[in-house]
Amino acid sequence: MIMVIGGAHQGKCSYAGKICPDVKWVDGKTCGEEELFSSGGIYRFHEYIAGRMREGADISGLPRKLHAQNPDIVIVTDEIGYGIVPAERQLRDYREMTGRICTELAGISEEVHRVVCGIGTRIK
Amino acid sequence: MFHLITGGSGSGKSSYAEERMLCYSRQEEAMEGKGKRPCIYLASMKPYGEETQKKIERHQRMRAGKGFVTIECYTELDKAVLPLNSGILLECLSNLAANELYRKDGVSRDCIKTSERILEGIRHLLNHTENLVVVTNEVSSDIGAYSFETKEYIAMLGRLNQRLADMADKVTEVVYGIPVPVKES
Repeated sequence: MIMVIGGAHQGKCSYAGKICPDVKWVDGKTCGEEELFSSGGIYRFHEYIAGRMREGADISGLPRKLHAQNPDIVIVTDEIGYGIVPAERQLRDYREMTGRICTELAGISEEVHRVVCGIGTRIK
Repeated sequence: MFHLITGGSGSGKSSYAEERMLCYSRQEEAMEGKGKRPCIYLASMKPYGEETQKKIERHQRMRAGKGFVTIECYTELDKAVLPLNSGILLECLSNLAANELYRKDGVSRDCIKTSERILEGIRHLLNHTENLVVVTNEVSSDIGAYSFETKEYIAMLGRLNQRLADMADKVTEVVYGIPVPVKES
């Protein structure tokens, strides 16, 4: 499992495409669980979390499940939580959950790359 | 040397940038007998009110006595008149980008045109100095629960940062006062 993280608009997808050129990608904003578990890579993974949470699904077990069923997946996700804690409960929950899930995924990943200003640095 | 320095707000990127700028400028002076030339501080923050005024004064105190010549430049960086110098410090890109995007004369609300104008300005600076230090800002690492205009600005600054990082010899992210290398020359 490989993770590519960083703020929005940092060039994460093009960086991920360079380090993993043969991956077939799905979009986290539109893909379902089945697609996620069978895909080579997912971009906008944070949007997948947002979508599942809107549906009211319990996704706290997602990292372990994903690692068991699709251990070679490449995950591109926005790094969030570097700003002000939002006033709305729902947004707070989403922000917190994304952080927890990504931290767990980073813990299981073999490689974690962080992209700043279009430049990736392997931090794990 | 073109050094791009980024980081969150209050991360200590300005004092790091000043220190680096003076170091490049001293190296330049030591290299050849071009005589003493000033280091230019290009300030882009517009004094809108009390809060910005205080911020500006804090920065002025920080660099007092370091030998910078301050030139204010809120928009149209590409037309800035630049004297002979040993280095230019632009503080900062995020203010300049906001000033350009939200100009009162409404010249452009178009992010692509605004970005091109700013890049033209950066090229103008590079043509007038051996040492350019640009301070920018990380504003894109949260959930993005902002207005459409703000989201557009965040996207524009993110893309500009990528373009500048590509042009730069060196890129550093300052994290709570610690310079973390992103790109080394």
